[in-house]
Formats: sequence, C-alpha cells, structure tokens
Amino acid sequence: MAELTMGTVEFAGRSNTLKRFIATDSYFRYLTRSAAITVLAILFGIFVSLAVGAWPAFRTFGIDFLTAQTWNPVTERFGALPPIYGTILTSLIAMLIAVPVGIGIAIFLTELCPRLLRQPIGIATELLAGIPSIIYGIWGLFVFAPFLQQHVQPALIGLFGNVPLLNQFFAGPPYGIGMLTAGLILAIMVIPFVSSIARDVFETTPSVLKESTYALGATKWEVIRNVVIPYGRAGVLGGVMLGLGRALGETMAVTFVIGNAHKIAASVLAPGTTISATIANEFTEAVGDLYTSSLIALGFILFVITFIVLAIARYMLSRLELKTR
Amino acid sequence: MNSIAVRASAETIPNTREKLSIRDLSFYYGESKALHSINLQMYERQVSALIGPSGCGKSTLLRILNRIYALYPNQRAEGEVLLDGENILGPGQDLNFLRAKVGMVFQKPTPFPMTIYENISFGVRLYEKLSRAEMDERVERALTKAALWEEAKDRLNTSALGLSGGQQQRLCIARTIAVKPEVILLDEPTSALDPISTAKVEDLIDELKRDFTIIIVTHNMQQAARVADRTAFLYLGNLIEEGPTSMMFNNPKDRRTLDYITGRFG
Amino acid sequence: MTLYSWRLLRNKIWLGLSMGAGAFGLLWLVLILSTLVWNGIAGLNLNVFTQMTPPPGSDGGLLNPIVGSLVLTALAVAIGTPIGILAGTYMAEYGRYDRITFVIRFINDILLSAPSIIVGLFIYEILVVPMGHFSGFAGAVALAVIVIPVVVRTTEDMLLLVPNQMREAASALGAPKWFMISRVVYRAAQAGIVTGALLAVARISGETAPLLFTALNNQFWSVNLNAPMPSLPVVIFQFALSPYEDWQRLAWTGALIITVAVLSLSIVARALASKGVER
Repeated sequence: MAELTMGTVEFAGRSNTLKRFIATDSYFRYLTRSAAITVLAILFGIFVSLAVGAWPAFRTFGIDFLTAQTWNPVTERFGALPPIYGTILTSLIAMLIAVPVGIGIAIFLTELCPRLLRQPIGIATELLAGIPSIIYGIWGLFVFAPFLQQHVQPALIGLFGNVPLLNQFFAGPPYGIGMLTAGLILAIMVIPFVSSIARDVFETTPSVLKESTYALGATKWEVIRNVVIPYGRAGVLGGVMLGLGRALGETMAVTFVIGNAHKIAASVLAPGTTISATIANEFTEAVGDLYTSSLIALGFILFVITFIVLAIARYMLSRLELKTR
Repeated sequence: MNSIAVRASAETIPNTREKLSIRDLSFYYGESKALHSINLQMYERQVSALIGPSGCGKSTLLRILNRIYALYPNQRAEGEVLLDGENILGPGQDLNFLRAKVGMVFQKPTPFPMTIYENISFGVRLYEKLSRAEMDERVERALTKAALWEEAKDRLNTSALGLSGGQQQRLCIARTIAVKPEVILLDEPTSALDPISTAKVEDLIDELKRDFTIIIVTHNMQQAARVADRTAFLYLGNLIEEGPTSMMFNNPKDRRTLDYITGRFG
Repeated sequence: MTLYSWRLLRNKIWLGLSMGAGAFGLLWLVLILSTLVWNGIAGLNLNVFTQMTPPPGSDGGLLNPIVGSLVLTALAVAIGTPIGILAGTYMAEYGRYDRITFVIRFINDILLSAPSIIVGLFIYEILVVPMGHFSGFAGAVALAVIVIPVVVRTTEDMLLLVPNQMREAASALGAPKWFMISRVVYRAAQAGIVTGALLAVARISGETAPLLFTALNNQFWSVNLNAPMPSLPVVIFQFALSPYEDWQRLAWTGALIITVAVLSLSIVARALASKGVER
C-alpha cells in the first residue's frame, strides 16, 4: 500500500514547514519568557518607584521619621510612628482572634463535621474570603461600630474600670470606632484565610498516622492535638503569616472604622490610624512635595514589612509542599 | 525446554536493508549510566523486539530512537544511531523532522482532549494542507489500517476520551500512522490492555510491518515470540544477545538469555 | 475523677469549642450578608441602573460608576490575562526546571497578597505623574497588576497538572513545542485557565484602594480613558463616608451589587473548576 508511505514531493514540503517551526518555536519561547520576566519587573518597579518617591521625606527627616509622632501638614513635620503603631496593633488584635477561630473552623471541617454539611460550610467560609473589603468597611461603619458603641464598649469600660493597669487599655469614651473595632473587623476578614489554609494542611495528614493513634485508644481530640496539628505545623504557620500579611495591608475595611487620628493612645478603644488608612484618606488632598513624599514613605515602610512577612509565609508553605511531595 | 510458540515465518525471512544502526550507544540519567555501549542493527519492514527484565534499559533505548528523551534536562546519549545512514544524535539533527519519520506509541493510551477525527488529523495538519475530502480520506485510511474504522466511523466527531482502553490505543496507533512515518516505535503497547484488545493489536502489528519498520519493547516474552522477526535481550543496560526470534528462543547462545527465557529470573 | 473520664471530658470541651468556632464563622457571614441585603435592597430600583450619580439631596442612580467599573475591569482583564497566561506557560513548559522560574514563582506569590494600595501608589508614580493627570487608563493598569499574579498562579498550577505523557505523545508525532502547547496542553487545561481568569475578575471587582489615586472618580458620565473615571467601589467609599442619607443609601445598594457580582463569579469559577477535575 504505497499511499501510506512518503512521496518525494511531500518530503520537500515537509522540510520547509519544519524550518518555519524552528523560527516560531523560538519566537514563542521568547514571548513567554518576557511575560514571565514582567512579574519580576513589577516587583522591582514597585520597590524602586516607592523608594524614589519616599526619598525626599527620608532625606529630610532621617531615621526620626520612624519614631516621631507629630503629623502636621501645616508645619510640614511628619512622623510615622502612629500609623506604624496602628498597623501593628490592629493586625495583632486581628490575629489573636483569627488564629484560634480559623484553626478551630479547620478542625471542625476536617474532623467533626458530618459529611453532608462539609461542602456547604466549607464553601460558605470561602465566600466570606471573597467579599470585597469595602463591604466590611461600610458594614463596620454603619452596623458593627454602633453596636460596639452601644453595648460592648460600655461593658468593657465598666468591666475593667477598677482593675489597675487594664483600665488604661480599656479606657473610655466609647466612640464605637477605634483600634479595637478595626482589629475586630480585620479578624473577621482574616479568619477565612487562616481556616482555608489550615484545612488544606489538615487534610494532608496521612490517615495511617491517625488510624494508628486511634488504635491505641486515643480520643478524637487527642489525635487532633498530638498528630494532626503537629504534622501540619509548618503549613498552618505559613497560613497564619499569610493572614497577617493580608491584615497589615488591608485598607478599606480599616479606613472606615479606625477614626483617623494621628495619635498613639494607651486605650484600644481610642481612635488611631494605620499606614494604609492614612494614605487612603490623605493622598489625594496632600499639598506640597514633602507631604506627598511622606505618604509615599509610609507606603514604602508598609511594603517592606509585608514583603518580609509574606516571604516568611511563602518559605514555610514551601516546606509543607516538599513534605507532601 | 521449548514451550514458547514462535512465529512460523520467523526463520525464513531474509534480512532486508539495514534501517537503523546503533553503534556504541551509552545513555546517562544525570550521573548514572543506564546503557553501556550498545551495538545493534534493525532491518527494514521487520519487527524487532527488545526484551529483558524491569530496569534493563529497553524503554530507555527505545526512547533514544526518536530522541523523546530530549524533552528532559539531565538525560544525555553518547554514541551513534544511524537512520538510513544519518546519525540522529548529531548536533544538526532537527528533532521535529526526526519524529515525523519515527513515530511512537506509548504504554498508556494518550488520546488528546479532542474528537476522534481531530486526534488523527492533528499530526497531519502539522505538515500538510489537505482539503476536507483529502483529510477525510486520510483519516479513514489510518483508522482502517489500525482496525478501528468500523467501530469509530459513526462517532468521528465525538470526544476520543469516550473510547474504551483498547480502542484508545488503536486510535493512538492510527494517529501515528496518519503522519506517514517510516519507523514505528511501540513501548509496551498492550500492557495496559485486556487479552482481546491485545490480540487485536498484535494482529495489527503483523499487518503494519508490510509498510513500516517496527520496534517493540515488551516485558512479555511470549508476545515477542508471537510478533517479532528479530529479538534483542537486554540486561542491566547491556545488550546480551540478539538474533532471529526462533534462534533466540530455541537456541540462545548466552546462558543469561536462556535463564531469562525459561523464567529462572526476571 | 478517673483519668479516662477526665480525658473524655477534655475531648468534649475541645470539640465543642471547635464547633463553636465553626458556628462563629458562619454567624458573621450570615450577619454581614443579611444586613447588606436588607439595606441594599431598600434602595434598589430601576433608577439605580439608569440614572447617574446625583448631587446630595436629589435622586439618582449608579449608572456611571457601574459602567466605569465594567470598562475598567474589562480593560484590566484584557491587559493582565494574556501576560499572566504567557508567564504561567513559560514557567510550566519552557522553564520548568530553571532557577529563574523558582524565583518568579516566589515573587509572584508575594505579589498575590501584596497590599493593593501599594499597587495604587506604584501606578501613580509611573503613570499618573508623567501623564500629569488621573486617568481611567492608569486605573485599569493598576487593576491589571493585581490580575497578573492570580492568572500566573492558576495557569501554572493547571498546566502542571497536564500529564507529561500527553506532551510526549504530541512531540512524538513531530509537533513543535508551541504547537503542542497551544493545541494540546492548553486544551487539556482550559477549564482551569478560565477559572483563573474568573477568579481574577472577582478579585478586582471589589478593589477600591488601587483606584483611589489612579482613576480617581468622576461625578459625571465618562468613558474617556484619558480622564478620571468613575467606579463603583470608589463611589461607595465617597458616599458612605458622607453625611448625606440618600448618598449613604446608594452606597449600600452599590455594595449589594458588587457583592452579588463577586459571589456569582466565584460560584461559577468553582463550578468550572470541579467540572475540569471530574474529567
């Protein structure tokens, strides 16, 4: 059957096509490689443009920028400490609540939940993660803050009113908005992050490991505590760092309820500000190069902080990937 | 000792022209050497089988013949492999050109996520501009040659993933044939198939060798005895013995060949 | 109390706590969504979709910010998705074992979670300042910078899932690399790649911070990419913080619209993803 073997005319045509292939192949490779390099270029660009924009402020204020507390556009004296303090404090409050709750939800979903409910509740938590932050912002402003102001904050003030030391942290007046409120809203935002990563991590625990522990007569909690959680330690930590990274950089949810006061107060019920809230509120109205540069300097500081936190998170999560491979 | 049925005609086929000449071929996965100075000839329009226990290097050797190993870094070959006199391991060798001449069917059927028709026409469209009618004819001929036409002709435009395992493998064979290669490499083509599909594929090999040079790797000795004109026995990366199938199975020269064939090891 | 009954008690306590955590999480979701729906629906009427943003005290709708958001999102996806897919293709197909791919993956994951207000500052510095004015184009580019890491990640993950055997089968037929990638590998991974694009769209639909100083805002109808462009999130920001009641009502309605859009996109993306896995 000669038709199934190659004729000489076809052969020549094939050679030309093959020459074309080589050219297109290198073109495509070059194209995709350039796109990949773009990712690096973006990060590099962010770093450089922020550094350049922040330079005037750093040059004027020096290292004092990080420790000064005044923020006065009129006299052009800017200090970054209140926003930095606010960013760290609100994120800390958020993590203190989100980590145990997030891990608790993950444990619930992987070990306790009846099969039927697992899917819907799991999806529900992930939907929570998808709600845009501005929604949390306006919900916080119109619903949560008034609620805290009327019911929770007076209770807190009353509860700690006579306790030495602690009454500093929970001192009045109950504004509704403030550091604590912002921290709580951030907590609600971060919970789904921590829980979904923790859930993925817990699900990779080999069942042989769990079964052999059960076989020794351990209770469910003992298995979780002694096998599941330690096994997934690195991954959960990575997820926590990821949530922290998100909390540090969150803008819209915090801006609505933080109070926007460039002050450091002892009480968590007092208003304050965070780096992102400051930038969001003041950037478009900033007059004068030093003002703008100081705001960009704040952005630069935030970028460096989140970069470090996210790099650590990434490192911990990659240790987990290596384990499961 | 001889309980293996060997093809009747195996003894009588005269050797045709040399198609592939393997000279001093060695292969490395990173630092470890997998093939040691192999010397082997394969002849036109004959079925040559590579047999040996797991890990002996037969699949490695097969994958050199269409240089599919080049997809992975860290794997390299030394020596010469002459296809019609030209060294395919040479620096100037165009890989796509080589693979158009030397086709391959894999152990696990790999239909593309397309219709049956598109699976077959995929390779053809790379090189030739055919009219709809010409392509239809080519597809039909390839499927007929692969003994799949009757089963597929009414479902050419459905997904290839809907075929059974045996049908999928015959589809892969049809896909390879459609490109008009000269050599077809088969890497344990029936190890994932049931006995009936296996028998169909072996009958197919018998038909195909009238037009193509076929090299088959198999871990099933009986299969080699059934389909191959010549057989080569590899062990631990070395070529132990090679020759006409009937001689290999009835009168092997090397002790190790005899031991493998009689099941002493492997 | 014996040791055993003590253990059983501890077991019950801790498991009860984690169940409480589950309920706690659900509680907030329900609370937030229900107040959103309650307040948002109050202001929901046809005017919202047909009239433009009003000055305080008069009636109006959200037409221009809705259209503005659609334009910005579409442009951001058009810019960011091809770059993301091509980058993911390089990482999975050409440079899978390269050192540089490792670095790019690392950097990409960091960009994925980077604060979006930083992206806004970045685009401000490199586009708004040289151009001399705010523009819809700058806003779209800022959103594209957020789209790219999402698409890169999902594309690479999906492409890595395609079995190597399929690539070998295509190469064995003589297909050049780009042909194999575009005709076979993309086809096999297409559900996943589309999911990635949908997730990116859901992500940027609600982003406010990157638009604050790039696209700014616009009271009036504008589809001019070279001028400030209205967008739903920024308008919500402005209206919600204002002291005017009718503006606040529009803010709730806008928030409801965004949430419905984002949630439906996420659900569609999820459905697509699981369909891809079934095969």
